[in-house]
Amino acid sequence: MGIPVEQILIQTINGVVTGMILALVASGLTLIFGIMDVVNFAHGELFMLGAYIGVVILAATGDFWIALIAATLVVALLGAAIYLTTLRPLIGRDPLYTILATFGVSLVLQNYALWQFGPVARKIAEPFTGQFTLFYLDYPWYRIVIALLSAAIIGGLWLFLKFGTWGIWIRATTQDRVMAQAMGIPVPWVLMGVFAIGSGMAAASGVLFGPLVGVNHVMGLDWVLKAFIVVVVGGMGNLAGSIAAAIFISLLEAYASLWVSPAQAVIVSFVLLILTLLFRPTGLFVPTPK
Amino acid sequence: MGRTITRRRALRWGAAGFGAAAVVHGPWRAVFAEAKPYKLGTGQPLTGVAAYGGKTSLVGVQMAVDRINKSGGINGRPLELVIADDQSKPDTGRRAAEKLATEDGIDFHVGGFLSNICIACTPVWEEHKIVNMIGVCLDTTLTTSKCSRYTFRTFDFAPAQAKAFAPYLVKQIGKKWHMVYADYSWGQSTRDAYTADIKANGGEVVGSTGIPLGTADTTSFLSRIGGDFDGLFLILFGSDAINVVNQGSDLGLTKKYRLAGDGAVATATQLPAMGNKIEGFVGIDRYLPVFDPPLDTPALHSFFDDAVPRLKKVDPSAPLPDRYVQSNFEAVNALKLGVEKSGFQSRADTPKLIEALEGLTMKEGPDFPTGDKVLRKEDHQAFMRELIYIIKDGTYHLQQAVPYEQTIVPAACKFESA
Repeated sequence: MGIPVEQILIQTINGVVTGMILALVASGLTLIFGIMDVVNFAHGELFMLGAYIGVVILAATGDFWIALIAATLVVALLGAAIYLTTLRPLIGRDPLYTILATFGVSLVLQNYALWQFGPVARKIAEPFTGQFTLFYLDYPWYRIVIALLSAAIIGGLWLFLKFGTWGIWIRATTQDRVMAQAMGIPVPWVLMGVFAIGSGMAAASGVLFGPLVGVNHVMGLDWVLKAFIVVVVGGMGNLAGSIAAAIFISLLEAYASLWVSPAQAVIVSFVLLILTLLFRPTGLFVPTPK
Repeated sequence: MGRTITRRRALRWGAAGFGAAAVVHGPWRAVFAEAKPYKLGTGQPLTGVAAYGGKTSLVGVQMAVDRINKSGGINGRPLELVIADDQSKPDTGRRAAEKLATEDGIDFHVGGFLSNICIACTPVWEEHKIVNMIGVCLDTTLTTSKCSRYTFRTFDFAPAQAKAFAPYLVKQIGKKWHMVYADYSWGQSTRDAYTADIKANGGEVVGSTGIPLGTADTTSFLSRIGGDFDGLFLILFGSDAINVVNQGSDLGLTKKYRLAGDGAVATATQLPAMGNKIEGFVGIDRYLPVFDPPLDTPALHSFFDDAVPRLKKVDPSAPLPDRYVQSNFEAVNALKLGVEKSGFQSRADTPKLIEALEGLTMKEGPDFPTGDKVLRKEDHQAFMRELIYIIKDGTYHLQQAVPYEQTIVPAACKFESA
């Protein structure tokens, strides 16, 4: 049975838009892993805290954009504090230590949010409403704007890493931590900065995605699960690979939903994860290892 | 630092501890003297994805327990509440139920929010011969194909709601429907019940879309929905309901089609997160936190007034009471009637308690503010008044109250012999 062309086009747009949001979530995760070798299990909770702080600041100021910037900064500071108090003593040890530590942090943050904000979901109002006609659908402009903003934030990160002094320090630390330290780069501060940037990016995605969902203490779970798949498929620590993988996986799921039930469509990304781990564990979007 | 613990100091601390205990348990001791309390276990999702419902459910249980203890307990014995957190996970829920039954030695249980957890725990209550009053779980099979002699549901279920709601859907809104449902046990059984009743009333279900639990971005699923039908019928709860309503509205689905659905979509605790995107939704529920006639009763006001400050302690946004508070509150009160009627003393009397609960009639009043109801003997399923409402200006407006007699459906349960 043929699928109408308009449905394929709609799913293509859906896939790219969702992929860009996912890329923003995953890029923070991959940045932290690539530079610090830390698998941050608390990333979803930083996403969630960003959204909650967005709710609070939006209620106080009435301005979505102020809420977005302030939530990003507050969670970046929180990320720096988490690094200093929890991760710094564990850097360089077996990765299991940092996995357990970030898992512990995730439980603390999740239950803190439940205690502080309560179990009832909150709303972040969109900064603007409006739709355009896309075949038989009204498609919201806001989703397009989120995708563009995500692209802009990731682009900004790339420029920062490429040309900024701190960006150069970060790249140097990634390549050889000991040599970087020998050359006078303040590696502990760089690592703290990286964790803060990754946390801030999670918070920004939480605020941007907030208007599409209810803000609650478990809102990060679904996104962070997918973000982990993206990080593995894209190549651990590979920023460009993560972006490509995010769009690739979102497109696959969107197209799959044309042929199979939604529950089966979700399985596609897990199948891809297993196949990647079996046949190309370095990731699909990295050059073949020599 | 450096202070040694002398015998005198230890005695002083001990006396202070006893004093504090006497103050804490003072009212109980005064009323009940040395009466051994009944142990009421309650398993609720206090953390995890369903915490929003577990926390409000617990408020309902606590309200009922406090009222019972203030008025002299049951058979002169106080109720002692033993709380367990199932963490919104079936395996944890089952372990928590085992602990309540064995280590805590509960006499009976009230609770359960997620249907998959209720289903997972049913064998535990059977094995330990403990009466289980369901608090929220709505999966139809709990009182049909998976019914249990030890389990009772003192509130409505999908076949009864569908019988009450389908005539309204078909005659007042439209004949052709598309179902959007939570793709798990409750959603599937509710979808089947509504599909049958819409068809029986001359309508038609032209399509259905299952949403996997916990899906944050449902757009790729919702954007496939289109075509010639009158209404979208939503069978969702929690964050899934919020996501589908928000994202469906963004895609213009609520402009094209009328929106209706199960009351779980638009409980009082869900409304704030949906804003004006839920406007025009037509739903059915057993309890609404409004006082449109015939809901303007002293019992409903009293229930509301007790619940509101308690909910404010649970959530700073001060949500209004919802069906989860109500059904847990009334489940404990139904249990109280059964215990009084049977003279239940310990778990050895469970058969007598079951007998007392089977066919129990509950009369509208402070214990059962939502009205008269009956707990059917054949399947342990209650039938109660259903409220059809529309959401306008962010609140519920009652459209029709369907008496419980018009919601009764044939029993479909065969208990295994004891």
